[in-house]
Amino acid sequence: MIKDVLVIGGGIAGIQASLDLADMGIKVHLVEKLPSIGGKMAQLDKTFPTNDCAI
Amino acid sequence: MLDVGRHPNINLLAYSEVETVKGQAGDFKITVRKKARFVEENKCTGCGLCSEKCPTIVSDAFNEDLGTRRAVYAYFAQGIPSTRTIDPDHCRQLNGKKCGICAKVCQAEAINFDQKDQILELEVGAVILAGGYDVFDPSQIPEYRYREIPNVVTAMEFERLLSASGPTGGHTDRPSDLAMKAGIEPLEKKIKKSLRGLEKFEKQYNRTSKEFYTQYTSGDIEKDDDQNKWANQYEEHLSLLEALDALKEKVKTFGPAKRLAFIQCVGSRDFRFYPFCSGYCCMHSIKEAIIANEHEPETASTIFGMDIRAVGKGFEEYKIRGGNTSGITYVRGRVAEITEGSGHNPIVTYEDTRERTVKSEDFDMVILATACAPTKGIADLAKILGIALDDYGFVKTDFLSPVDTTMPGIFVCGCAGSPMDVPESVAQASSAAERAAEIAFQSDVEKETAIA
Repeated sequence: MIKDVLVIGGGIAGIQASLDLADMGIKVHLVEKLPSIGGKMAQLDKTFPTNDCAI
Repeated sequence: MLDVGRHPNINLLAYSEVETVKGQAGDFKITVRKKARFVEENKCTGCGLCSEKCPTIVSDAFNEDLGTRRAVYAYFAQGIPSTRTIDPDHCRQLNGKKCGICAKVCQAEAINFDQKDQILELEVGAVILAGGYDVFDPSQIPEYRYREIPNVVTAMEFERLLSASGPTGGHTDRPSDLAMKAGIEPLEKKIKKSLRGLEKFEKQYNRTSKEFYTQYTSGDIEKDDDQNKWANQYEEHLSLLEALDALKEKVKTFGPAKRLAFIQCVGSRDFRFYPFCSGYCCMHSIKEAIIANEHEPETASTIFGMDIRAVGKGFEEYKIRGGNTSGITYVRGRVAEITEGSGHNPIVTYEDTRERTVKSEDFDMVILATACAPTKGIADLAKILGIALDDYGFVKTDFLSPVDTTMPGIFVCGCAGSPMDVPESVAQASSAAERAAEIAFQSDVEKETAIA
């Protein structure tokens, strides 16, 4: 049996870690304190150095 | 974000907090408190009708308190899950007042004021802590007068002003101008109210207030209590109208902020607060200056810093491009003080270390590149997880194993461990995921070995 993994925090780091684990076939529980995931990066308009949209 | 909501292997527990952690690597027992949203997640379609009709207006934390939301809200428009949440601190119904409008308008019948917090028990092999950071509160630096001068803002606040989905729709309107604009509506309401008061007299005496007032001032009529009251009310009404006209006239002269000052190392590389370099702020300021210039081509920005740290793939080129094509001037020097000049313009006093002179310059707006501070909840969470923090309050790690905490089976990534930018956070997250996967799969390997 493959064990589950708990990820605390749904910002860009937590999202990336969850997706990587989930794609490996591991069940992930992603806990986020706020009503929506996204974290600080969702508050950003664009990201450097490409000026890509952050969301 | 959307992928997380859809992935069959991800159990998304938003609006939840970890309460207890027991056990060891390969075998942790976790309890999670899933806070009551007072909205049934499986019924809510995310149509937003409840937020439209909710009468309670609350300051919007997602927009850095520059805008407002309702007591029933989506944290932000594209948020996942798209379910609405009722804010128990502000909702009228949940605070014993009569309301329940959201429940009446909700066609999916998703509003449930009786919802309770749920305690969930999980069994996991490994834990990844990606708790993030907090923006340093610059009001701790008295000489920058953040909050005293309205047009001194943090980089995150400016980010919301630049965002098309932000409170100004992407216009770099100054907070002082926004505050003045916000004064129009209450004034108009006051005028409407005073008009209603005047109408009562007009009906009673069958003439307009203006006619009456001319007679009253010329002394043509007898002045009883009623007449005096009417005259007083009319005078008040006239002064309100005058104030509204003046305000509207002033608001017409407002435009976007075109002369911007960015101040680097606010709270970081400062021995009073955090001695470390937060790493991303130089690039963040350059990016904001470039975007502001894209929105309003006449925008000229000055970035004040001890040095500009453009360390990363394509970063130095980005910095040079900003200087060449986006109206950015880089000044080497630390800002000593910000004061307020006429028209709410912040005045920046600094030493230009290349010219060895002390100068003062007036700007439309000042943006503070605030430090990356450890997030407030991290100390409690570290206690729950049984992991150590470093001297600043970030999760303690080793140079040669940057995602391992002091507790085996618990890993850290992103700004919870140390300040870093988005690409670094993503790289570290993948690294932490791989370390956690080792444990998750190990239990499988062990079992197979035992059978063999």
